[in-house]
Amino acid sequence: MYQYNAFDQRFVEERVEQYRDQTRRFLAGELTDDQFLQLRLRNGLYIQRLAPMLRIAVPYGLLTATQLRALAEITRTYDKGYAHLSTRQNVQINWPELRVVPDILADLARVQMHCIQTSGSCIRNITTDQFAGVAADEIVDPRPYCELMRQWSTYHPEFDWLPRKFKIAVNAAQADRAAIHVHDIGINIRAGDDGRPRFDFLVGGGLGRTPVIGSLIREGLPEQHLLTYLEAILRVYNRYGRRDNKYKARIKILVRAMTPGKFRAQVDEEWEHLRDGPSTVPDEEIQRIKACFVPHVYEDLVDETQLLARERLADPAFNAWMQNNVAPHKRSGYAIVTLSTKATGVPPGDVTEEQMDAVADFAERFGFGEIRISHEQNFILPDVPQKHLLAVYELASEQALGQANVGLLTDMICCPGGDFCSLANAKSIPIAEAIQRRFDDYDYLHDLGPLDINISGCMNACGHHHVGHIGILGVDKRGDEFYQISIGGNQAKDASLGRILGPSFKRADVPDVIDRILAVYVDNRLDGEPFLHTVRRIGIEPFKAHVYGVAEPSAGEREGPAPRMKEPPALRRAG
Amino acid sequence: MEDEWTLVIEGDAAPGIIAPFAAWRKKPAGAGVWVEGDAEAEEIGPLVAAAPVVAVRFPAIVDGRGLSLGALLRTRYGFVGELRAFGDIIPDITEYMHRCGFNAFVLPDLEQAEVAIACIGRMSDHYQASVRQPKPPFQEPTTRRP
Ligand code: HEM
Ligand code: SF4
Repeated sequence: MYQYNAFDQRFVEERVEQYRDQTRRFLAGELTDDQFLQLRLRNGLYIQRLAPMLRIAVPYGLLTATQLRALAEITRTYDKGYAHLSTRQNVQINWPELRVVPDILADLARVQMHCIQTSGSCIRNITTDQFAGVAADEIVDPRPYCELMRQWSTYHPEFDWLPRKFKIAVNAAQADRAAIHVHDIGINIRAGDDGRPRFDFLVGGGLGRTPVIGSLIREGLPEQHLLTYLEAILRVYNRYGRRDNKYKARIKILVRAMTPGKFRAQVDEEWEHLRDGPSTVPDEEIQRIKACFVPHVYEDLVDETQLLARERLADPAFNAWMQNNVAPHKRSGYAIVTLSTKATGVPPGDVTEEQMDAVADFAERFGFGEIRISHEQNFILPDVPQKHLLAVYELASEQALGQANVGLLTDMICCPGGDFCSLANAKSIPIAEAIQRRFDDYDYLHDLGPLDINISGCMNACGHHHVGHIGILGVDKRGDEFYQISIGGNQAKDASLGRILGPSFKRADVPDVIDRILAVYVDNRLDGEPFLHTVRRIGIEPFKAHVYGVAEPSAGEREGPAPRMKEPPALRRAG
Repeated sequence: MEDEWTLVIEGDAAPGIIAPFAAWRKKPAGAGVWVEGDAEAEEIGPLVAAAPVVAVRFPAIVDGRGLSLGALLRTRYGFVGELRAFGDIIPDITEYMHRCGFNAFVLPDLEQAEVAIACIGRMSDHYQASVRQPKPPFQEPTTRRP
């Protein structure tokens, strides 16, 4: 975990006072709404449909128990006792009063946190693998580089007023858990032939109205050049990105208009001026930051294969949880646990102050006091001794955090949608809930295997619907809420964008449609073949046919348990 | 604050006048020049380097192109004269401009000019290199490590 030094601490404190003064001037009428808007956005404050929303930065999703307790305390003191884990690993609170936001920022600064650049057209929180530093498949620990980039991007003199927001994600493991193909810049870190880290740059990926997979423009950059190369990309974007139309202002549009080849040439030309300049990072600085991320003092434990086998046999629910929520750790005898926030009836990513306090306790009792937030909106306990997994499972279950659904159909990504967001075409939370209610049989979910359902309430794609294996998008049809469904999207290494099935559906029909899609999958899958691969192999036609009732699913007998056909329950209004 | 320069949005260049780039090129002697924030630094940079004043127009608070232009004029084209920002400017933005090499700002009134001065002085340190601070803090170990 990065520890602020006196420089970092003074920086956040002065930034709080700066914002306090801006708020004061706004309330005194010295700044207009439009002027203050831009200043508050750079401190994470949106004004939403119902109330302001404050987005708190959680750099690369990493939190200490102390910080999580402070967040719980903030929701108690200033808010309604709950918070929302966002798809960019941040935390949002929905009801802070504009005039007390400076006090919230001051409380955050006390625990080395801030809201800097969590909104506005600037470089946003840099995200990475939620298992960084502990994943068994990790090649390089990305966290020190994320921190280096966090510092570089914080209050940058030239790049805080970009054409549009700018999102950077970093992956440094075999599997890509950070969705680097759909970010403005996706960085892949790997080991070079000399064992030193090498950086590959994907540029111009993104979702929103125009979903694009990023283009590779630089391979194998050595670490000392990281910041100068980023400066070159950002300078080209700042100068040439479109500013006349906000829907064409992301870097993906510029890269496409110029072509990736020409864009790369322009960046290289700019970089020639900057490379080896003063922003070249000395090894000393990299070592200084790395020293904050030294591995914890792990005990010498052995894998608890037999104990776990016994415990799993005794409790099928624990067995399912082990299968879905527990990932392999770098160290023997330890495991990485994902605590799912996706309980039926709870908006995905919403957590209460009690849950936050409990997770902070777990992190201290069963780890080194660290917590992660994943972009799938779950909590991670990164260092749980295997012998305590059952205890963690039981304690988490008492807090409604024991759902064994990580990576399964009911572990959905879902934006706030029409319940909270003024841009929405349709609600999204009730859709998530209806799907969770329909598919609540763990055996069936488990049989279906890895399945991402992502839901956005409009084409801004906050819920990443394009890269869901099944994507659901709220659309407006003459004032009515409808949902367009796509399949075949994927956010990982072999990223792809979903293809739209056809005309959109009424809300009440969505669970049935999902049911039909799954029936085609179950009928057609080869042994052990996950949903995504079946879609890629057989194409979308059979799905289309069954969903729109043109024909029955193609191949013969159904295997596996049939979906539980229940009446969709009446939809509760969320929020 | 008194201003010895008069900026003309359209019109000819003359001593004491800040004229649009096209007019200034015809008669640069004693005149200043103004450009839009999206002017090509590569084209104008070598030409305006010797002018006493270069003014850059910021059409909107959110338009940061002039920041890149300012930084390029200072660091790549060696411009050492007055770099002036005008247009849609609030005091809080002057801090960014200052760090990108601007040293004059056109604000609506004296009160705002005072706020701007306070804004510019508010943060003690920054993480990056800039025109004002040619080296990032990590190149200067003593300031970086407390
Ligand atoms: C409730 C108020 C919200 C509003 C008004 C809002 C607005 C927007 C808009 C306008 C965009 C499109 C930006 C563009 O394409 O340039 C966007 C993108 C995005 N939003 Fe939100 N958002 C909200 C909440 C959220 C929440 C709660 C999350 C996290 C769960 C989120 C995550 C994202 C992400 C990840 C993108 C990026 C998609 C991309 O790469 O283009 N948003 N948002
Ligand atoms: S996707 Fe649309 S509806 Fe959902 S939060 Fe983003 S802007 Fe709002």
